[in-house]
Amino acid sequence: MRKDRSRRGVLRIGAGIGAATLAGCGGPIDGTVTPLPGSETETDDDELLPEFRGSGSYVEGRPDLDAPSMADLPPLSGELSIYIGVGEGGLYEDLITRLSEEVYPDFEPSVRVVDSPNALIKEYEADTTRADVYWAVDAGSLGAVADAGAFSKLDDGAVGAVPAAFRPDNQWVGVAGRARALPYNTNALSADDLPDTVMTLPDSGLAGQMGWAPTYSAFQAFVTAMRLLEGDAATRDWLTGMQDAGITELGDEWLVSNAVADGEFQAGLANHYYALRVQAARPDAPIDLAFTSGDAGALVNTSGIGVLNDTNRTQVATRFVRHLLSAEAQEFFATRTFAYPMVPGVPPAGDLPTIDELEPPDIDLAALSDLEPTLDLMRDVGVL
Amino acid sequence: MDDAGPSDARACGRRGTTAERLRHAVGDRIGLTLLSGAIAALLLTPLLGIALSAAEVGPQDAIGILSRPGALSVLWTSVALAAVVTAASVAIGVPLAWLTAWTDLPYRRFWTIVVALPLVVPSYVGAFVFVHAYDPELVVDELGVTLPSIYGFGGGAVVLTLFVYPYVFLTTRAALLGLDASLTDAARTLGHGRRETLRRVVLPQLLPSIAAGALLVALYTLSDFGTPAIMRVDTFTRDIFVSYDTFATERAALLSVELLALVAVILAVESRVGGTAGYASRAARGTERTRLGGWRWPATLLPAAIGTLTLLIPVGVLLGWLVRADYQYAAESLAFQPSFAVNTVWVAAVAAVAAGAVAVPVAQASVAGGRLATLFDRATYVGFAVPGIVLGIALVELSTRVFPAVYQTLPLLVFAYVVRFLPQAVGTIRSSSAQVDAGLVDAALTLGHTRLGAFRRVTLPLLAPGALAGAALVFLTTMKELPATLLLHPTGFDTLVTYIWRVQGDVYYGRAALPTLALIGISMLSMLVILSQEGDDGG
Repeated sequence: MRKDRSRRGVLRIGAGIGAATLAGCGGPIDGTVTPLPGSETETDDDELLPEFRGSGSYVEGRPDLDAPSMADLPPLSGELSIYIGVGEGGLYEDLITRLSEEVYPDFEPSVRVVDSPNALIKEYEADTTRADVYWAVDAGSLGAVADAGAFSKLDDGAVGAVPAAFRPDNQWVGVAGRARALPYNTNALSADDLPDTVMTLPDSGLAGQMGWAPTYSAFQAFVTAMRLLEGDAATRDWLTGMQDAGITELGDEWLVSNAVADGEFQAGLANHYYALRVQAARPDAPIDLAFTSGDAGALVNTSGIGVLNDTNRTQVATRFVRHLLSAEAQEFFATRTFAYPMVPGVPPAGDLPTIDELEPPDIDLAALSDLEPTLDLMRDVGVL
Repeated sequence: MDDAGPSDARACGRRGTTAERLRHAVGDRIGLTLLSGAIAALLLTPLLGIALSAAEVGPQDAIGILSRPGALSVLWTSVALAAVVTAASVAIGVPLAWLTAWTDLPYRRFWTIVVALPLVVPSYVGAFVFVHAYDPELVVDELGVTLPSIYGFGGGAVVLTLFVYPYVFLTTRAALLGLDASLTDAARTLGHGRRETLRRVVLPQLLPSIAAGALLVALYTLSDFGTPAIMRVDTFTRDIFVSYDTFATERAALLSVELLALVAVILAVESRVGGTAGYASRAARGTERTRLGGWRWPATLLPAAIGTLTLLIPVGVLLGWLVRADYQYAAESLAFQPSFAVNTVWVAAVAAVAAGAVAVPVAQASVAGGRLATLFDRATYVGFAVPGIVLGIALVELSTRVFPAVYQTLPLLVFAYVVRFLPQAVGTIRSSSAQVDAGLVDAALTLGHTRLGAFRRVTLPLLAPGALAGAALVFLTTMKELPATLLLHPTGFDTLVTYIWRVQGDVYYGRAALPTLALIGISMLSMLVILSQEGDDGG
């Protein structure tokens, strides 16, 4: 599946060392690349990276990245209508602005932030699609558009680097993930103390020393996954068991992760990036992450993008998708919000396993949007 | 009115027989009714989109959806919430109206403004603030008492009431100011006691106005999603929204039809009570204020408490958030831009003018009488009861299929606002229309004015205060509107609420505070316009 990528010439992008020998030859196509501030007239692959990379303790000592550089991708130019699902906190727009203002002056994206894909689907059904690509923060929204038949199939050559689970039938492709994890206090526990599945937590003796945030949407998606994998009865038992063991409730998973770092309790249930944010703010914080395998606790949700069927800008749309999977964009997601890069050649921030080393459950991510039965169940057992 | 006008040939023609004048009057009424009917029909077209979408649900599924488990309970919760909020709004709004309009309460003008202003605070912002500011544990620690959770039916009803009761306050106050004191004096002279006078003279005259405000409160409560969602009340609208969240737009449309049936029942009930709602003669002269005596100062506690809860606390909390810069990731593309405020004011002003213009014939026809005209008048209320997202999706559906050229353009957005908020303007203009004495128009005609001239020189000046107040109400509700704006705004046309919506998630309270305060500030100016239309009440 990486055959096509190697034809393109995968570049190892080092942190400065060996850049000269590996450099491309003056930007993708003559004249399309504006020299970046501080660069010479020649743009080589390494010089784009700092523009996209974040800052802070995680950036120092980043390993080499094994993914195509933007500089080696066919350039972006002309108009592109991008619908973005809300919830990215302005990050995606920042990336698009970087592309259009600093890399490709001829690229004229128009961005519309939407609440849900409902309007997009209505447009498609009426043959008046206004979007060329749809970039959503969750697999559920993408699945809805795919179900409506509004996406065209992406080329393996463009998206093949991403593990198959995050590009179902190539209808859309994941670009930045968020993994469920067990943050734990390294003064209190070692990785071996944490089970390989969340299902044993209620009886592990740990639950009374843990924290969670049931009102948080990612936690509710996790419970939905558990319902789909283990059934309602087992999920009910699990929630009740954790409660009976005396787990502490907090408002959100940022608070959970902070409390773990502070030693208020030994471990928690949270999205992976909160622990990284804690560490970014407090490099010495005694917090690390454990991942379970194949169960609801190993759920990985992803933001992803698809190209609309009805677009007449398929070429630039596909190129845009490829740019989101470039080393620079993946580094952007990894170092600015600590999202999980979807290209295995770009490791996540911290010493975490790469995306292809995680063992997410075999589950249709689109099914996670059916939240209502989960909320009913959670209310019923008194968790909500 | 003040000049005699030229006595030309046309004028001679006008000075016809009574029968001729009557024929003209009847012709006018039919024309007006037809115009009103056309407007009502146009405003109801989005419902066609909802019906079309709902029709895509098969009959079997439809029965399944309508008889789903828990269907009755959410329906009941919605009705109960609407009833409780409406009753509570009347309980707060009417006494406050009486205090500020008819008594010697100190600083009446100030308190009038204070207790009208909560309407400018979007109720979802109010709910958001209360949820974050209310900390029972803190109070428990300090005072040793246990407070109930803010979440649930009770909390939801309280928050909604605090931010929507001004509808009742405003309509009741207008009626009280207009109430003819000679009637109460007559009643007193005839030996009726204070209580008797209140029951037999004052209340019957006030009832239509109270009902008009209560109707707006009830419909608002039924259609609101944001506040019940934040307060975790399981209402009917939540069912609709869950359907959208799971991308079942047809199911959502079907549930909306169910909601509309409920609205039809409420409108029918209201038209029994309301009649010519909002009539105010403004003939009031020399009303003697009720002396509160020893209660004069203690009475200020009521408006003061309401003002603290609805204005001081939310604005204080927002200011607190404003100074607290706690951004995890400061995205450059989420920086506040002044153009958001400009766009907001611009589109709200256009919607206000459009709604004012459209409301005049509807209100005129309604006052002129006739069951059909009343029906058209009430038909415009349906839009107010349709949740914004339902209306928005219906217009997306209709425009993309039938008229793609207007999709994501300002005209369609303005149309959506007019559909949603017109009844507020119809209500206030109806009150003003009721004051226009047909004799005055006849006099102008007799004096040689054309029908248009008579309308321009006699009717319009009399309607102006009501029209302006109505337009101002539309203006400030338009500025607060979120769901339809999100779906229909032109790409790149961001407003204050779309910006608040984007930054309110996660840890961006600090950023949401500035545009929210701007929204409240601009809205306050609009509210001052509404109140200035009452003229001087000596406060």
